[in-house]
Amino acid sequence: MLLVILWLLQDLLTVFIGGGMQIPGLFMLGLVYKLLVDEGSEDSLWAIWSAFAGGVLWDLRWIGIPGFFTLGYVAVVMIVIQVWGLIPPQGRISGMKLLVFVLMEISQLLPPLLPVLILGGSAGWSFFLTQQGYSLPAIIFCMYIYLRRVKNIRNSVPTPPHVLIGSSAGDSR
Amino acid sequence: MENTRNTAREWVHGLTALILGLFLLGISSGLGVIKNIVDLWGAVLFVPEYPAVVLRDIYIGWRSWSRNIAGMNDEVVRLRNENAKLRLDLARLASEKIYTSSDQTPRTAKVTLRAPMSWWSEIRIDRGEQDKITQGLPVFSNGYLVGRVSNVSAMSSWAELITSSSFMIPAVIEETRELGVVAGDGSGAVYMRYIPAGRAIRKGMKVSTAMIGEQLPPGLPIGQITGEYTIGSDGYATYKIEPGADLSGFFTVSY
Repeated sequence: MLLVILWLLQDLLTVFIGGGMQIPGLFMLGLVYKLLVDEGSEDSLWAIWSAFAGGVLWDLRWIGIPGFFTLGYVAVVMIVIQVWGLIPPQGRISGMKLLVFVLMEISQLLPPLLPVLILGGSAGWSFFLTQQGYSLPAIIFCMYIYLRRVKNIRNSVPTPPHVLIGSSAGDSR
Repeated sequence: MENTRNTAREWVHGLTALILGLFLLGISSGLGVIKNIVDLWGAVLFVPEYPAVVLRDIYIGWRSWSRNIAGMNDEVVRLRNENAKLRLDLARLASEKIYTSSDQTPRTAKVTLRAPMSWWSEIRIDRGEQDKITQGLPVFSNGYLVGRVSNVSAMSSWAELITSSSFMIPAVIEETRELGVVAGDGSGAVYMRYIPAGRAIRKGMKVSTAMIGEQLPPGLPIGQITGEYTIGSDGYATYKIEPGADLSGFFTVSY
């Protein structure tokens, strides 16, 4: 539900701005955030197909050719799943700020980059760079929410972190 | 073992999604049906997007309106300045017209009497009706207004001085176009009264007769603001004026 709301919000903001500025990829930020805090699920297939669906719908609405953002969205989810999977659960809440930031940044970097690389053109690069500038505050805000959540988990129960993460993520789902 | 199986499943699904995406990208550009789907999806989204469209239109309208207002303000300032300049030019023309009305050079008259009891109120000059002196005619010293003819006889005339307490004429500060009334105090000082307090009136600004007075033509130079002023309880300021003419020691006037 959160992802649907974020997708719609991103769409409404794009409609409202009407091309004056590029809207951050709120849908992908939400998806990556959910992946990072969702430690309790057996697999992340929901994220892959959510990204696919979100990408296809975005392409149909704003690009006209499905595939551009779809590929980027799915690629981002695959990268996040694989990289985050390499980190042991105990280490995911201790000192992973930089990695979390990089993963969130990738979610904003990769999807708009693919159309630019495929289609080319200076206007496309200008579009891309502008969007990166506008995305940064959204990433920082998302980081803030993530770090606050981690801090709350640490402070709530004095048990090993990986146990905490598992239970809290289960609640969130 | 379970973890490995999950990872493999994720890879399978991920690669499937990627291939599907590539497939869509490859075939969709040549398919007309995609356009129909795009149109259909756009129509579906029209409903949830409607508030954003309305808000955007309101925002665009507001921005356009505020830009127009800013442009109109600039235009008003420009027109106001232009108007002030035109008024000045008109006043100067009127002033020149006075000198050129009868002949090309201003005529002069000698001051024949300046009684100590009415030193700051009136003078007598040696020109009268025979010299085309009329009541209300302005008289000048050193090019500045010193008074106006108040009484005319055949051979001489009396002129009331601007320092007289009964002398009141509408005047204007040329730089700001503020209107007021120039009046004397009967003791040698001249003031400009009834200027709204808080206006940017500065020392050295020129004061001349205003167009609204029918008794005197506009644009006749009187003097300049000294910088001394008082603000009355009615919210109006009174500025002291330094007359352009030396009112304590002039022996001739021009008219």
